[in-house]
Amino acid sequence: MRSWLGPILLFILIMVSYPLTIEFLEQDLEKGFYSLLWISILLSMMFSTEDIFLEDYNDGSLEQIIISSTSFPFMVAKKILIYWLMIGIPISILSFLFSLGITQNLSISLFLFPMALISSYIFLNLFVFGTALSLNKGSVLGALITMPLALPVLIVLGKSIIAIQFGINYLEFLLLLLGCLSIIITVVPFIVSYVIKTHLE
Amino acid sequence: MIKKFIHQFASPKTYLYQINRAYKYIFYSSLFIYTFSLIWGLLFTPEDFVQGNSFRIIYLHVPASFLSQSLYVAMAIASVTYLIWRVKLAAYLIIAIAPIGAMVTFIALSSGSIWGIPTWGTWWQWDARITSTLILFIMYLGLISLHTSFSNHEKADKLLSWLVIVGFVNIPIIKKSVDWWSTLHQSASITLTDRPSIDPSMLYPLIGSIIGFFGLIICLVIISSKVQIIKRESTKSWLKDYV
Repeated sequence: MRSWLGPILLFILIMVSYPLTIEFLEQDLEKGFYSLLWISILLSMMFSTEDIFLEDYNDGSLEQIIISSTSFPFMVAKKILIYWLMIGIPISILSFLFSLGITQNLSISLFLFPMALISSYIFLNLFVFGTALSLNKGSVLGALITMPLALPVLIVLGKSIIAIQFGINYLEFLLLLLGCLSIIITVVPFIVSYVIKTHLE
Repeated sequence: MIKKFIHQFASPKTYLYQINRAYKYIFYSSLFIYTFSLIWGLLFTPEDFVQGNSFRIIYLHVPASFLSQSLYVAMAIASVTYLIWRVKLAAYLIIAIAPIGAMVTFIALSSGSIWGIPTWGTWWQWDARITSTLILFIMYLGLISLHTSFSNHEKADKLLSWLVIVGFVNIPIIKKSVDWWSTLHQSASITLTDRPSIDPSMLYPLIGSIIGFFGLIICLVIISSKVQIIKRESTKSWLKDYV
């Protein structure tokens, strides 16, 4: 329950506290909103993957899964997918709703939704890799190490908002992220499984 | 013949003895090249038409930025070597290079910002090349902190290699950032394929300084790898004879 509701609550709290930090009468809430949105998606994904393998590692079921004949990378991929379905999609829907409250321009919110979906999946994969690296060392370290890898995605996300505000070629950014995602979801489960096997040796 | 040489060289013992013989040649020749091109560049090169004398920091900035990426590539090659062939020496090299890479990246960043004050009027800008180099710097620090957090060295080596390989995706982004985004930082003046866009009177000392700086940093890597070998192989009997 904590690992499911925690990240979503964190996301909501960050987004709610955003208007409080600026002048209430300020008309230009939109200005910093999108950068805050991407950063809070990043943070809540980091928070959600914190204990993705920890329980299985402590009670030994991780070892049994590796020994058993089922494909371990496939299991990792399924695990990430479930996290995305349970946390990534709600957060994307919430970011769509928050964006509706901030801007009058519906097309921005509509475009933001798939971007949030894809980027949350990319962040999840990266942070799962980080958590696997520092499995029994407190996963904050791993998340911090893999954070620089997520920064190029943040740059693309930031650029995409400018592109959509001017109404130019925003589909390019979507396809670029989709391409990154398709590479990441095929490669990361294998790397994560090797890393976890290293931990259990 | 070559295979035998590589196999011998991959053992820490042979590496240590061979590198000790080569070390002084590398050190003195690169020191000579670097000092020579620095003197040439600082004293005998004409002033830049636009930038005046401030461009002369190029003889530190360009070699450092060039090496900050090359050292990461070297780490990635060592990681692949370690993960595939389980060569112990490669693992020692990875952790030997990481602090030096962080240092060189820091030199590149700081010299760049010193250069930025007279030419751009600002010492820091959130531009693609500068930001991605900063990311590289943070990544080097992350690599070091990952390795130090494990007491089991062998496990730490393997995890570090995976992180280095995954982090390698950032290198093409840094390399191409000036071409992909229109930014403040200029694009590369020296490429392998095109004619360089610098005047020869500035270019030759620059090439010399890159080669010299490269050699000096290789010397640092050699010293650092020797420290790693002595630290990690401290139980071996051959090391007692060596020391």
